[in-house]
Amino acid sequence: MMKIKLKKYSKIAVFSVVFLGIGYMGFLWYGQNISSLNHLSEDKLTMLDDPQLLPEKTAKLTAIEKDSNPIPIYGHWQNFTSKDGLPGDKAYCVRINGNRVLVGTHEGLAVYEQGKWRTYTTKDGLAHNGVLSIDVSELTGDVWLGTMGGLTRWSAGNFENFTQFNSGLPNDIIYSVICDGKDVWTATAGGAGHYDTFTKRWEIFTEQNAPMHEPWTYGVCAGDGKIFIAAWGGGVVEYTKKTKKFRDYVDPDGNMEMDLFPDDGVVHDITTGTSWANGNLWVATYFGLSRYDGVHWKGYFDHDSGLASNFINFVRAVGPVAFICTDKGLSTTDGENWVNYTKNDQNNAGKTIIIKGNEKTASAMSPSISHNFTLGVDVKDHVIWLATSKGVSRGELLK
Amino acid sequence: MKTSDKLMIFGLIFMVGLLVYFPGRKVARMHVNSKTAVDDHPLSCISCHLYTRKEEVISKMINADYYSPFNLAVSNNGTRLYVIAQDADALLVVDAENNKVLHKINVGIHPHSVILNRAGKMAYISNQWSDNVSVIDLASSKVIDTLKTGNGPAGLALSANEQFLYAVNAFSSNLSVIDLSSKKEIKRLTTGNNPTGTALSPNGKVLYVTSRRANPAPYGEPLSSDMTLVNDKTQTVMNRTSIESAYIMENVAFTPSGDLAIMTLIRPKNLIPSLQVERGWMNTHGIGIIEQKEGGRVIQLLIDEPNSYYPDPFDIVISPDGKTAFVSSSGVNVISVIDIDAVRTLMAESSPEMLKRFSNNLGISSLFVTKRIATGANPKGLALSPDGKLLYVAEQLEDKITVINTESLEIISAIDLGGPNRITVARQGRRLFNNASHTFQNQYACYSCHPDMHEDGLNYNLAAAGRNIVNVISLREIGDTPPYKWNGKNQSIYKQDGMRFSRFLTRTETFNYDDLDALVAYVKRGIKYPPNLMHNPNGELTESQLRGKALFYRSEDNLGHVIPENNRCITCHPPPYYSNLKLADVGTLAKTDDSIYFDTPHLNNIYASPPYLHDGRAETLEEIWTIYGLEDKHGYVNDMTKIQLNDLVDYLKSLRDPEFYQNNSNNQQQALYYKSN
Repeated sequence: MMKIKLKKYSKIAVFSVVFLGIGYMGFLWYGQNISSLNHLSEDKLTMLDDPQLLPEKTAKLTAIEKDSNPIPIYGHWQNFTSKDGLPGDKAYCVRINGNRVLVGTHEGLAVYEQGKWRTYTTKDGLAHNGVLSIDVSELTGDVWLGTMGGLTRWSAGNFENFTQFNSGLPNDIIYSVICDGKDVWTATAGGAGHYDTFTKRWEIFTEQNAPMHEPWTYGVCAGDGKIFIAAWGGGVVEYTKKTKKFRDYVDPDGNMEMDLFPDDGVVHDITTGTSWANGNLWVATYFGLSRYDGVHWKGYFDHDSGLASNFINFVRAVGPVAFICTDKGLSTTDGENWVNYTKNDQNNAGKTIIIKGNEKTASAMSPSISHNFTLGVDVKDHVIWLATSKGVSRGELLK
Repeated sequence: MKTSDKLMIFGLIFMVGLLVYFPGRKVARMHVNSKTAVDDHPLSCISCHLYTRKEEVISKMINADYYSPFNLAVSNNGTRLYVIAQDADALLVVDAENNKVLHKINVGIHPHSVILNRAGKMAYISNQWSDNVSVIDLASSKVIDTLKTGNGPAGLALSANEQFLYAVNAFSSNLSVIDLSSKKEIKRLTTGNNPTGTALSPNGKVLYVTSRRANPAPYGEPLSSDMTLVNDKTQTVMNRTSIESAYIMENVAFTPSGDLAIMTLIRPKNLIPSLQVERGWMNTHGIGIIEQKEGGRVIQLLIDEPNSYYPDPFDIVISPDGKTAFVSSSGVNVISVIDIDAVRTLMAESSPEMLKRFSNNLGISSLFVTKRIATGANPKGLALSPDGKLLYVAEQLEDKITVINTESLEIISAIDLGGPNRITVARQGRRLFNNASHTFQNQYACYSCHPDMHEDGLNYNLAAAGRNIVNVISLREIGDTPPYKWNGKNQSIYKQDGMRFSRFLTRTETFNYDDLDALVAYVKRGIKYPPNLMHNPNGELTESQLRGKALFYRSEDNLGHVIPENNRCITCHPPPYYSNLKLADVGTLAKTDDSIYFDTPHLNNIYASPPYLHDGRAETLEEIWTIYGLEDKHGYVNDMTKIQLNDLVDYLKSLRDPEFYQNNSNNQQQALYYKSN
């Protein structure tokens, strides 16, 4: 009797395992299929990789200008390299400051004003020639420069340097600096640093006193009474200024290079930048882009959205639009629609790819952006400036 | 009692007296000699044992409450003076027609400056030791508001539209911009180092802010100080004009036409041995002139003379016709009168090279200084009547306002503010401290290198060329922290300020002993610390400072190893002075130094005394350990994380005046608590 029952139950168990396996595979297939329905099928797209189509660029740009676009589209690119007065071709960051543009390069700070470039280096008082990040205080007009050798306050021509040796700065390698009222925040190789310009006091946040995995921090931004720190391996660390409390947002899937469950949180723990605007936090990683509206997370990848590449160096949100610097060009998005700017490998031309809903249109442009490996971007009024690993680009809003 | 008995008793007493007198006198002589380092100082017990007492009752008995007028303003109709009584924490309203004090209005602690609004109905007073500005309704003579500022507000100015008040924060080196409608500080702009004076250009476009301390620079490099230019419309810093080889720019004024901005300044010669004072050039004193046009020149002219110096220029005012400037040379009790047209001519006729030479020319003042008007002790703030016919001089250590006729350039009256008539010993000492008459050719006063009785931030070469480069130390409350001098060679202030001082530094007759007694009494007891409002306003430490305190008192390193007792912070720097008053080797002896130990400095208000170490090599507290403490000889610190070092520095910056720790028994208990935890 007992043997009969065991045999019967073992058959049921085997059947159950097979059923569950088939069901799980079906679930995976369904998930993939659903996911693919959310983005574009390649065969519907008009691809303009063929150089023979380049002569059509003028007509296409005109068409774009006439069209109504949900997000701004930039064109009429003008590129600058060391041949045009930049101290070096490698530009890490760019910031529009009134009538001038500040560019952080590997060879110093370059300032573009009235059509001319002027360079400032350590000889002028800069902490280090490698300028990785720039922000301008809205309160005081002071320019804060995060360099590879310390933090520099550039105020009306005067360079004042804060280093890990002469101040409470956590580390001399500063990947990101922002001004938030009277406070200055830095993301450094030795933790996040907070400098109160009123009290002149420093605070350091590392894995010792904040929910970080490592002391390395790559990005920092402010918004909604909070500071959002992109912490290497630690996702996003949120600091509420009022309560002085931390919380972290990490990838629920763990430190994996695939997003197992979509939109369950930040897409990866290795974050490279944060930017907050219009109630949305945008998070850059080397494995995709995330957006957090305070309640829900949304992930974006090159395979399921218009994102040019999952490898994101920098993100800046301006109003509803995020500008995403990737290794394969610049992407811009409002979360639904996309515009990408890329450059051809073999010449100075490139294309602007516009994705609205299920439609994808590409337009040739010449010249295009300076290089596809984009590192920094800033936008103001009708102008966009882009820092790349080979030069700086200036674009204008197409009407 | 029989006469013989009386004689017997008297004789006995006399004999005992003789027996006590001679050895007693010998002991007293030895004691006084050891304290004064001379063998002929009068055996006057009260010199040390009365005038330097700090018990409250005795202190009140031997001292007096002076007003010490510091700055002043004149009403629009010229009938009222508004005088800052710095030591009385008050604003005095003075009837300028009848020379009478009408009201004494209590304001914050240690007020610095006063300005009036354009209508003349409101006065703003910066309270330097309260970190705020008192707003006074002049009709009712009442304080109607108190506005929060940065640390150590000094000079004040109103924006051209009078909607904003600018307060120059001398201690935190920035400028508070206060919205007068919301009564809130809306921003702080970084200025030069230790700013005090400010003035808005006549066209209302640019605010000038002076600085007193020079920008940090290694010894040997030329120093410079910043004049910060602020755009009044955007309220952002538009320029920082570097004033080369100069510092202590106390105040600045514009000509009415706005063609020139003129500030007072000192050109120190700290790179040459200070022993060479008899050869001239310890300090030179003058004015800086900034042309207000595109590409305008920055010129410096000395107001000294070849054999007579006019140190510590403080305030400057310019007559309504723009032809005459008056400078208070506070170190020699003189108002220097400057012919501005002569200065304009000199500038017009001189090449840039010539002007550069003039900045060091002691004779050039004969071309533009037209008169020296002697005043009472320590002239500071100046103000002109609206018609420019009268010049009012705040005589800080005279408690008077001197009135000068600007046409005849003669003193016509003095307004007694009603302070004590007697001059106490400490007051006399303060006068001596501020006066350069005891220095060869009046080159400098004690105050010159110790402005505000603190320190000027510079390093001086006190021995032969290149030997013993030392940073100036603060004199605040040093009375109980012997020995003195960087190497602790002076066991008392008597020795420090007595014979050695005149022999090595002033190169003149030494102080007579009455004056030396007075100077020592003042230095020992008369110089107070400002409250540490920036880092420790109420005595309660922040979390970071508490962690830093634990590190300061720790006996074990991060790995649990015992730190040798002589390498713990607390061993050499115990409260209340945070000095064990002993000598130590902290591994920072320079090759050019005599081979000696260093006096362990007190750490009270140490945040206010950069640069650090005996020769000022460390620009910040952090550098003491990050750059100059790599061998762990100056405390055991190299196991600390950066967060811990920040905490330690944060705690050090929180240290206050010694009295706080003497009165706070919790400190030792807290120390024990942290030690045991």
